[in-house]
Amino acid sequence: MTTSPNTRRFAAHLVMIGLSALAIFPVYWMVQTSFRPESEVFSTALWPATPTLENYRRVIEVMPIFGILWNTVLMAAATTAAQVVTGLLAAWALVRWRFPGGRLAHSLIALSWLVPFQVVMIPNYVLATRLGLLDTIAGLVVPNAAAAFAVLVLYNAMRGFPREVVEAARMDGAGSLRTLIEVVIPNLRAPIASVSILCFISAWNEYFWPLLLIRKIENSVVQIGLQFFMSQEGNDWGLLMAAATLASLPILLIYLVLQRQVVESFMKSGIR
Amino acid sequence: MSHTAIATSMPIATPRLPRITLRAFEPWLYLAPALAVLIVWTYVPLLEAFELSFYQWNMLPRSQPRYVGFDNYLNLLNLPDMQQAVINTVLYTVGLLPLSVGVPLVVALLTAQLTGPARNLYRGLIFVPMIVAPIVAAIVWRWLLNEDHGLANQWLRSFGFDTIGFLRDPDVALWTLVWITGWKLIGFSTLLFAAADSAINPSYIEAARMDGATSWQIVRDIRVPLLSPTILLLSLMTVLFGAQWSFVYINALTGGGPLRSTTNVYYLMWEYGFKTMSAGWSTAAGMLVFLVFGLVALVCLALMKKLAVYDD
Repeated sequence: MTTSPNTRRFAAHLVMIGLSALAIFPVYWMVQTSFRPESEVFSTALWPATPTLENYRRVIEVMPIFGILWNTVLMAAATTAAQVVTGLLAAWALVRWRFPGGRLAHSLIALSWLVPFQVVMIPNYVLATRLGLLDTIAGLVVPNAAAAFAVLVLYNAMRGFPREVVEAARMDGAGSLRTLIEVVIPNLRAPIASVSILCFISAWNEYFWPLLLIRKIENSVVQIGLQFFMSQEGNDWGLLMAAATLASLPILLIYLVLQRQVVESFMKSGIR
Repeated sequence: MSHTAIATSMPIATPRLPRITLRAFEPWLYLAPALAVLIVWTYVPLLEAFELSFYQWNMLPRSQPRYVGFDNYLNLLNLPDMQQAVINTVLYTVGLLPLSVGVPLVVALLTAQLTGPARNLYRGLIFVPMIVAPIVAAIVWRWLLNEDHGLANQWLRSFGFDTIGFLRDPDVALWTLVWITGWKLIGFSTLLFAAADSAINPSYIEAARMDGATSWQIVRDIRVPLLSPTILLLSLMTVLFGAQWSFVYINALTGGGPLRSTTNVYYLMWEYGFKTMSAGWSTAAGMLVFLVFGLVALVCLALMKKLAVYDD
């Protein structure tokens, strides 16, 4: 019955190596296919014999990929900024005061993640059309300008903030907004960074709402660009993989640099 | 509780009344932006969807919605499409649970003793699918599982097996989509379990070992019960959102086919809404889904409170 610690450690390594391979191999396969010349795309060799940038040249030719990437950066940055600001303000209201209706507001915010987007998509679409938001970047940002998880994570972070410091600021005559900006926010850099990372990645990967809203490829964001591309160039695998690699590059770079923070922010705020 | 609201602790009948009402108003100023967005884009639309579900409307700006009472609901409930979609939704959820909860739990328990740089490397790698965009995952798996030239089928062929129509065979396609959805989650769930496992107080395990418990007994009687909050949380997430996570892959890879075998309720709503332009059917289906998942959420939360073992 007793297995030696060494055997068990070995087994653990094996399991983890298997899982790591499973996780990373598809991404690797995407990247390596993108460097293959057309003649080599169907080869099962693990890397290209004669790597080339040809596929990337063609992507740039057939699709306004840089414009699309720029749209996506704008959209994700604006969404992140909006979600962090609205999140900070709302969290501050819930932490700083106890007031009638406060609990109701808190649950309205917390329960909003229970409403599936598909249930409200038609009224949202009608409203966006009426407001002239169709086919615009603003239309992608505005409905996502507040996120329940941003409010809740920042709320939890602020609750841990020492009361005495806030009180001292009030004694010094600082208003609630000044206290928030000058005392609370500078001390919450880590949770704010963590929420921002999460907001940015989920905005970057957002699929459904842009799918409804965007009509023209030059107005699109990268996820929808890829979708268009897939239906047009369906089986041009080298081309598709090059486009997919370009679309993933910013996120993978962020991950490479901020790996620990990224993992931690995901683990703190759950799956969505 | 020592810091009650300034608004209520102020004396009321003084000439400073206007200022007091202003102060009572203050928290709402901070809440306004977030609440406005959620009310305008989530709660009001929810009510509008409820209203629309009693109308027939093709979503064209000039056409008038026509009141039809409960017809949309009755039609939906009798529709074979809907029944199939409900069954498929259950299959997605059930199929996803081993990938989002079962395998990660086992892996986390098996690899808990790993330390040092190797462990960090593994953690860094297994998390990657979580941040890959769903549509990128769809494209990559579509390539790997391609019937003629995909790596998976080329390997199968070279070992003398028949190729599999991963996305074209009605018996297989749904499980392919479950796999892609789960692929994104395995690493993340494993890390959550590992974090929860390493938070278990080592003195419990030490004490059990002193009493002669085998490592299986320790897993069964100490570690799994103390991991139950995480198990329940991930199960809840999977049950509530699993079918939604699959939406991207259905839309990008199968369009609900072949033979509607991969259509789930969320895809059905999308089809009714934006392919056949029947807003009433789509919103009625949405209301039913919202109701059912709302009830499921309540039941799950109650179960969580009852079943979870907390170390306190």
